[in-house]
This record gives sequence, structure tokens and C-alpha cells, in this order.
Amino acid sequence: MSGEDERARFDRVVLPHLDDAFALARWLAGNQPDAEDIFQEACLRAFRGIGSFSGGSARAWLLTIVRRTAYSWLKKNRLRAQVAINDLSLGERALVEGGGDQDALNRATPETELIAKADAARLEAAIAALPLEFREAFVLRDIQGLEYREIAQVTAMPLGTVMSRLARARHRLIDTIGTEQR
Amino acid sequence: MTNAQGAATPMDEPLLLLHAYLDGELDPVNSLAIAQQIAADPALGAEVEHIQALRHVVHEKFPREPLPPHLRARIETAIGRRGPQVHPSWRALAASGVFAMALASGSTWVALRPVSGDRIAEAVVDSHVRALMAPQPTDVTSSERHTVKPWFNGRIPQSPQVVDLTKEGFPLVGGRVDVIETCPVPTLVYGRRLHLISLSAVLSASTPHGLSVRRSIRGYNVVDWSEDGVDYWAASDLGAGELETFARLFRSALSGR
Repeated sequence: MSGEDERARFDRVVLPHLDDAFALARWLAGNQPDAEDIFQEACLRAFRGIGSFSGGSARAWLLTIVRRTAYSWLKKNRLRAQVAINDLSLGERALVEGGGDQDALNRATPETELIAKADAARLEAAIAALPLEFREAFVLRDIQGLEYREIAQVTAMPLGTVMSRLARARHRLIDTIGTEQR
Repeated sequence: MTNAQGAATPMDEPLLLLHAYLDGELDPVNSLAIAQQIAADPALGAEVEHIQALRHVVHEKFPREPLPPHLRARIETAIGRRGPQVHPSWRALAASGVFAMALASGSTWVALRPVSGDRIAEAVVDSHVRALMAPQPTDVTSSERHTVKPWFNGRIPQSPQVVDLTKEGFPLVGGRVDVIETCPVPTLVYGRRLHLISLSAVLSASTPHGLSVRRSIRGYNVVDWSEDGVDYWAASDLGAGELETFARLFRSALSGR
């Protein structure tokens, strides 16, 4: 035996995480056909680059590739309009959108109920409407269950940025699905 | 890049830490401090409720989804399938000393059964994947068992038992003929939400046995059992638990008629 061949390494490192890889592609692309292209491209990149995997979290390694592939794919195929981030801080947001943050925060019970009862379509639309940077932090944490430092690795961002994006993403979602029920 | 993630204003600080606290990412000292702030500040308490409600509903509405089978097949094709050496062939095994020893020790059955079982499981998964990649996973498509069962007559020697599990959440989708180990066998296709289950019935002389689960053969689960001279093989991308439930329901429906 001359060590593990590339295909065996791919099977061991990548195959167990294909579900997560596709889910991330799906959330980043926002639709199935684009996600399938991104996913396939990312898997090929992972296969070609399997030699560069040097241990650690295989999942984070693969998701990093998926994310990079998705970004270059989106840049090539779409306008980057959706990527712009709303610059308001959390406090400002509460003031602007809630008419004073104490008021916004005190509507606890009905808001919590609305959130708890949100249906999948509404949630999905709200997540899809998040700016890409917020959306990926949210998906990686709350759907895929990565730890902060893994998200920092995947997104190549400092921990503080991960924290702030995740918090902002959640607050936007809470605002969206916690208030505008028709 | 934008400067959106610039320095947090003082007002942001407890809110940001709140998230890290709820995610279990804070060190003990900060955790304690935040826990005290939450207890003292009803506004923070309300935020905690919102965040937890959000995490809960997202978790519930977007569970981990298995990869669509056609995508797995696409990746396999794109990077090239493994060579056939992965699973030792019969002949290679027969030539090996281990096999000879197993024969000599009289534990022939024990030595043979898992190998041939694994090979059939592989073949069943192959057929299932091939069917998923085809325009239709069935040769006859009908949710009516009185249509599906007669369809097999004249095509293959044995027509399978077909049961109706619609009420149990496994509607009949149709049937097809698969070739397993060079023998044509009837395969029934049942649905479960958006997933399909292929159930092949192989005539055999093996000892009846209960459900046996093989997990994750190239991402598919396989459950097999044997009764009345037929080996049943169910393959699907469903979770092993649900596939087992299906097998159990199928068995009890068979025995109940």
C-alpha cells in the first residue's frame, strides 16, 4: 500500500459532509438549479484540492470551499446588489424600526408567539431576504450548527464579526417574522 | 467591504454578548455577568425569549436534509467511480486463506452469508440509484396494487406480494423489474414524502430472519428480512428508523392478509 489514494481520501473527508455542503449552497444561492451548479463545482474543487486538507474539521474545510465557490459564482452570474449591508447598529435599528427600543423590546409575549408559529415558507423568505453576509452567518450557526470559531474559519472573518453578523441576522429575522403577520 | 461590522456601540454590547451566551460561546465569567443582566433587565429577558423562539422554530422547520440522490450520483460520475476492487469478489475471497479456514472450521454459513448479503445490498442500492436517475423510477406507475401486481405476471416467474400502506404514509408508487446477481427480480416502489423506497423480493432458500439494517451504503440505507422463501430488500435515502418502520408495516400487512 502506498498510502491513501486521492479518491479514498475524498471519500473519507468529503463524502460524510455532502448534505451540509449542498444545504449551504442552497441557502447561499437561493434556488435549486444554481445551488446544484455551485455544489458540483465545489465538490470538484474539493476533490482536486484534497491534498491540501491538513486535518481539523473536515466539514468546515468543505464548507469553506462551498462558500468560496458560491461567492465567485454569484459574482459572475448576478449583480452584487443583495450583498450590501445595512449599516445601522442594533441600537439604531431598534430605535428606527421599533420607535424606541424599550417599546420594541417590551412587546415580548405576542412577538414570541408569532415567531414560534412562523411557517416554513415565511421563514425561508425572511432568511433569503437577509444580506448574504448575515445569511451565511445565520445558516452556518442556526441551521448547520457550527461553532463560532468554525464560522470564523469558513467565512474568513474575525470572531467579533461573526458574533455581530449573527446577532444582526437574528434580530432582522425576529423583526420580520415577529411583527408583520397579516 | 463595508464597515457594517465596525466597532460595536456601547448599546450593542450586551445584545451581542447575549447571543454568544445563548450559543454557549461565552467564558464562565462573562456568562455569569450576562445571566445577571438578563435577570435584572426585562428588555434583555424579552430578547432571550425571541432568540430562543427563533432558534427553536428554525430548528424545527429546517431539519437536516439528506442530499438529493441524483446529486450524489452526479458527484460520483463527475469524479469517477471507484474501481471494483473495493469489495472483494467471491473469487478473490474463495482464493484467500481466510475463506479456506472458514470452510475448514465448519462455519461456512457464517462466513458466506454476510458477503453475499453485502453484495445483494450493493446491488439493491445500485438498482435504486439507477432508477432514480432514470426519467421514471418505475416501469409501471400506479398507486393501485391491483394494477401493479398483475403487471409482473408474464414478465418474471414470480409476482410479488403487494400491500397498500397509503394510510400509514407510504403510498405505492409503482413497480419495476431489477436484475440482481443476474436474476430478474420484482421491485416495488413506495413513496414517503419526497423520498422513494425500492423494495425488491428475491426468491431464496435462506433461513427466515427478522429485520436487519445496513446503514449508509453510499448514502442509502438498506433493510432486509426473509420470510416464506423470499428475501426482501428495501433501499432508500430515508433515515434508517423510517425505513425500518416501513419494513415493519409491510411485514405486518403481509401477515395480516
